[in-house]
Amino acid sequence: MFRRKRKSSDFRAEIEAHIELERDRLIQQGRSPEDAQAAARRAFGNVLQTEERFYESGRWQWWDNLRQDVRFGIRMLVRNPGFTVTVILTLALSIGANTAIFSLVNALLLKSLPYSHPERLAAIYGKTTGTDAYNMRRSIDGEQWELLRDGVPSLLSAVSAGITSGVNLQSGSHAQYLHAARVSAHYFDVLALHPLLGRNFSEDEDRPHGPKTVVLSYATWRTAFNANPQIIGQAALLKGEPYTIIGVLPEHATTPLNADIYIALQPSREGEGGGTNFEAIMRLRDSATWQQADAQINSAWSRSQYALRHTGDHLTYYLVPLQKGQTDSLQAPMLAVMLAAGFILLIACANLAGLTLVRMLRRTTEIATRVSLGASPWQVQRQLWIENLILAVLGGLVGIGAGALALRALLLLLPQNFLPVADVSLDVRVLTFTLALALLTSFFFGMLPALITRKIDLRSAIASRGIVGGGAVRLRQFLIAGEVALTVVLLAAAGLLIRTLVHLETLSPGFNSNGVLAAKASLDDVRYHDPAAFRKLLSQSVAAMRQIPGVQNAGVGLTLPYERALIDGATLSEGKQAGQEVSTDTIYVTPGYFETLQIPVLAGRSFTDADGPDATKVVIVNRAFARLYFNTEDPVGRYLTDDAKRARLIVGVVENTVGSSAGGLTDDHAPLTSDQTIYVPAAQVASGEFLTVIHAWFQPSWIVRTESSMESVGAAMQNAMAGVDPNLPFSGFYSMNDLMAETLAIQRLEVALLVTMASLALLLSAVGIFALVANIVLQKKREIGIRMALGSTIGQAMVQVARSGVIASLLGVAIGLLLAAIALPAIRSALFGVGVYDIPTITVIVATLLLVTLLAATLPTLKIATIDPATTLREE
Amino acid sequence: MSTQPRKLDAKEPLDLLQGTLDLLILRTLIFGSQHGQGVARAIQQTSEQELLVEHGALYPALQRLEERGWISAKWGTSTSNRKARFYSLTPAGRKQLVTETTKWQRLSAAIARVLGPQTTDQ
Repeated sequence: MFRRKRKSSDFRAEIEAHIELERDRLIQQGRSPEDAQAAARRAFGNVLQTEERFYESGRWQWWDNLRQDVRFGIRMLVRNPGFTVTVILTLALSIGANTAIFSLVNALLLKSLPYSHPERLAAIYGKTTGTDAYNMRRSIDGEQWELLRDGVPSLLSAVSAGITSGVNLQSGSHAQYLHAARVSAHYFDVLALHPLLGRNFSEDEDRPHGPKTVVLSYATWRTAFNANPQIIGQAALLKGEPYTIIGVLPEHATTPLNADIYIALQPSREGEGGGTNFEAIMRLRDSATWQQADAQINSAWSRSQYALRHTGDHLTYYLVPLQKGQTDSLQAPMLAVMLAAGFILLIACANLAGLTLVRMLRRTTEIATRVSLGASPWQVQRQLWIENLILAVLGGLVGIGAGALALRALLLLLPQNFLPVADVSLDVRVLTFTLALALLTSFFFGMLPALITRKIDLRSAIASRGIVGGGAVRLRQFLIAGEVALTVVLLAAAGLLIRTLVHLETLSPGFNSNGVLAAKASLDDVRYHDPAAFRKLLSQSVAAMRQIPGVQNAGVGLTLPYERALIDGATLSEGKQAGQEVSTDTIYVTPGYFETLQIPVLAGRSFTDADGPDATKVVIVNRAFARLYFNTEDPVGRYLTDDAKRARLIVGVVENTVGSSAGGLTDDHAPLTSDQTIYVPAAQVASGEFLTVIHAWFQPSWIVRTESSMESVGAAMQNAMAGVDPNLPFSGFYSMNDLMAETLAIQRLEVALLVTMASLALLLSAVGIFALVANIVLQKKREIGIRMALGSTIGQAMVQVARSGVIASLLGVAIGLLLAAIALPAIRSALFGVGVYDIPTITVIVATLLLVTLLAATLPTLKIATIDPATTLREE
Repeated sequence: MSTQPRKLDAKEPLDLLQGTLDLLILRTLIFGSQHGQGVARAIQQTSEQELLVEHGALYPALQRLEERGWISAKWGTSTSNRKARFYSLTPAGRKQLVTETTKWQRLSAAIARVLGPQTTDQ
């Protein structure tokens, strides 16, 4: 239907034929050829008009009209560069912000996991009822795993060790540190990943003490094994032992663990299987339903020891989609930020509505003229909507560019491997979203002026020299009050998050974080299962590092401040709580650990080389531990019993250091805490089995304190280590400040995002106020001129005009504070060290807004000084 | 500043003149296919020169009728051996002619009844 049936050339030919036929006839009647030609043309009338009428009747006319409207619209926009640039920039900023945020939301929450039938994948959640109700993803223990594997036929289930660890891969004379994940049989089957070469782990290989086998990621196969196609069946020297390579994963295959290599977990009820240290994933089998699976899990686990220990909890398990399970902790912050981005869009809409409204009112004369020349209301409206659309499309395009840039900046802000997805990109969904957003925005900001122009009265419009609408000022004031209110909410949220971050970053760390260089090495290695070998490695390597020029001290610890620590049991052997078993962070350290980190020793002494394997078993507790269990008494000289049932003499109390609460049970933990901690001398860890288990989870850190450059000392540390064990590579070197930044990555991200949004909102509000006042100055030029002629001063005139902007803003601040009071408790769980109703934050926000309002409202009134009363009166 | 030309909408009720011209064209074509100039001549002759059709107005009308499927057209050669576009009545056009003729007769009779006494009064 969009194709014209007949070409205009054909029509023209017909007209030519007509004139020739008519001329022929007239010549036949005896007239001269020239005369006949002229007469024929005369009888035909206006050829051009006829052709035009033919053309108009064509079905492409809407297209011609559209093109004409677009051309005209572009001309109008080019003629008002100030307006056009303001609108496009406003759109670009607001749409850009939304595009960037939505790309993240899309990648994290909307995009399907990259597996076949991702909707059948699940993670296990547990819900308790009662006073301490909570609801979260659950780790499971060895017994639960066996019951799940054997007693829930609706699911194909698999488990992995909760954390990826580091292992050493020896190839020839070269040793390398790799991230390893330990997974059970069927782990890749649940994800529907089929190896590129070889096969997945068999059930036999997954039995305790089964054959040692490994599956390589594609990248590791390429880099460490030169993409050798004959690799299957060969041995890789991993953790100091030969492991048979049984499979290579395909390129781009990712797992939730994202490791370099995969080793069979071989789970059991013993060792790490004695606690809830496994993370389960499952795939619903074809004929089964989720209800069946939930019921089977609860029934299978009701018989477990874990259930018997937790009978009071009223614990019920249920499956949730793996997608949600993977991104649960990011969901709330992402949605909050998305909401903030939505606010920005609303603010932008309010501004744009105000701007287009003013522009429309200034075009009243033009519109009135068009209407009086016969343009239908539809034609006028169409023209206006097309101009809005042009703006929306341009703004949307610039917005996509701005969004892509913002997204890149955002991703740079994040630590590596922070997001549980491989990449975040502007895909079709994001682009569609942006386009829809641009159109929606143009609809919102175009609607108001369109409604207003419908009421334009022709005669008064022409008579009043094109400026109409005192009512429009009131309307714009409400728009500005609305945007200021949203800005207040955003500023308040951003302010509270900044206070939280400042609080966390300035938390007394309990040690001197400057000048400490750290590196991890994997002791999950058969050579170091023996405590004697372990002791020798530690003492020799630390001694070698102390020899490095510029190094003041060195030490080794199982974990560092800012890190998640091993939680172990200890029994209090004295005092009124004697015999009570408590959970406490447990860290083995070498002598020099406290001195290197400069953790103050508050009472007693630090560890020395004399605290060897055969000396008295000793322990140092931190202040939090001492305070909780010994209250005001001095713990030094008392005893406590470690997990291996050995009494240890407390020889010292050290200051609390901040640690990560990432291992904490519930979500409302602050990211940094000072937990009760006990320190034991590394030389007094006597159990090889214990070393094996903890080193499968944690890679100890070598630390040195130095004033020299980090690079040169890093290389020297690697050399020092190579002198003791040439096949023990470090994972990489980092400072304690890097470690803190990584721990607070989410908080930093939240702050960066919200501060950006709030600044954007503030900027837009300022522009809105500025535009309102500037426009009033323009409208009231004559009135002001007359007032000044009658004796009003410039100052009075300025105050009078600026008042409308200030009043609107004040109203907005009041509404905003009210909104914030209602809305902000929702982000309470993201706040630490600051309350929801924080007077300093509110004061700063109100002061900032007042300042910005005054600036934005005063600047345009400066133009009043240029008004010459005489000229204005003459114009009257 | 330009005003938009009013779009000719096919669904808009046709004014009397247009409707009349359409009727005359359909009526002319009942005698067989004819080109535009022939139609113009025929209208002039059969109306005994009373109706002066501006030839230019004819072609948009022909185009409109063609689009509605009441007449069809194809290029052919005239008696004077010139190329011309020949129009002929379609079955739908024939039906339309009957309807329009009836309507027109009713309309002109009604107008005649209205105008009749008034003109005699004056």
